[in-house]
Amino acid sequence: MDSSGEDINGMVEKDDAPKGPSGQKETSTADMLRIKQQMSNQCFEMEVYLNAGKNRRSCSTSEAERDYSDHISELERVKTLQFNQTLALHRMQMWHAMGEKIKTNDPEADALKVVNQRCMALCCRIKQIQQETRLLQDEITELQKKRLEMKRLTHEKMKEMEDLMSRKEHPDTEKYKAALEKGQTNLEKYKKMSIMAQNVLRGLLLACKINWLDDPKLRDVAMTLEEFPITD
Amino acid sequence: MSRLNPFAKLPGLNTASVLLVESEEHFQQSLAEALVEETSVTVNVRLAKSFPLPIENDESRPRIDLVVFIINLTSELSFQSAEASLKYLEPGYFLGKVCFMVTNARSSSVPAERLDAVRRLAASLHCPLLFAEEQTPEGVTNAAERLLTILKAAAGFVPFTTPLYLSNLTRCTLPPDIDQPSFD
Repeated sequence: MDSSGEDINGMVEKDDAPKGPSGQKETSTADMLRIKQQMSNQCFEMEVYLNAGKNRRSCSTSEAERDYSDHISELERVKTLQFNQTLALHRMQMWHAMGEKIKTNDPEADALKVVNQRCMALCCRIKQIQQETRLLQDEITELQKKRLEMKRLTHEKMKEMEDLMSRKEHPDTEKYKAALEKGQTNLEKYKKMSIMAQNVLRGLLLACKINWLDDPKLRDVAMTLEEFPITD
Repeated sequence: MSRLNPFAKLPGLNTASVLLVESEEHFQQSLAEALVEETSVTVNVRLAKSFPLPIENDESRPRIDLVVFIINLTSELSFQSAEASLKYLEPGYFLGKVCFMVTNARSSSVPAERLDAVRRLAASLHCPLLFAEEQTPEGVTNAAERLLTILKAAAGFVPFTTPLYLSNLTRCTLPPDIDQPSFD
């Protein structure tokens, strides 16, 4: 593949562009300043390039990278500082110019004064509203604190209640259980005794062929024998 | 071999010159036409296919403020030609006067390694890497606008900025996971 280069016709230029001193349109002061700035930028670049070889020292690539980033951050810091200071300077110049203007009594100064008054009124209003906002915000914070407190109390009370409930059942049921068991054992014992007595009486009545129908007292006693089932 | 020197000639007043290098000579023309639309400065656009540039034009060629390598990602030849042309530039150009522009990055037929290779190249040279869409007129206008921003800084039209400083802000950086396989 042959290494072809630039095409003679490979140049694109606007037809009505100002081509040189012959066809140049009138350059205003702003344009002149711009061109001067451009040229000073270019000269600065060339100067930098010329001075580039002067402070040569050998170091490794990683060291160079580190120095590079350090220099870049320093440069950025200084640029930001300069930018902020220029802004401050412009602000001061503006205020000075406005002050001077207001001191004169033209219609423009009057218009400026009207705008100033409006700005002041708006600023007062803003301050007022900010104070109100602050008060409302404080109230809201108070309410929120109260609500949180309420919640905490409710939580505590619920825990207490739960505690109490679980605790109360325990001692009662224990005593109750013990008494219940004792009663039950007693009941069993007496039941057995009475069943045994009844069985003995029934046996006696049957064996001795006692006529219990005639005697009312004996009849009552015999009737009660039917109530309990015959157990061993 | 003669190398292109950034400081060999005097800069033009209110003029910025850019050299578009593209081995396919496809996108150059439309981009050039979009670039000369700029009214606040006079933009000279020179087109080339690759380096070395013919010696016959050395006299008439103005001082080139910015060299733009247009790489079409769908062709390997484009990338290789751009890489080969790099050695014909003086090192002074790589302090902010070189820019890489990539087209067809969204095409599915592009292998991921080629974009990575272009990225590595741009990152190692500390140059900005722009992505351009050449099929639509809006894409061309957008690319021209971005290129003009860099060109204006390279030609000295932006106060308090040198192309070296701008290149430090706009230079291509490698993502830390560039060596890991992509998720395709």
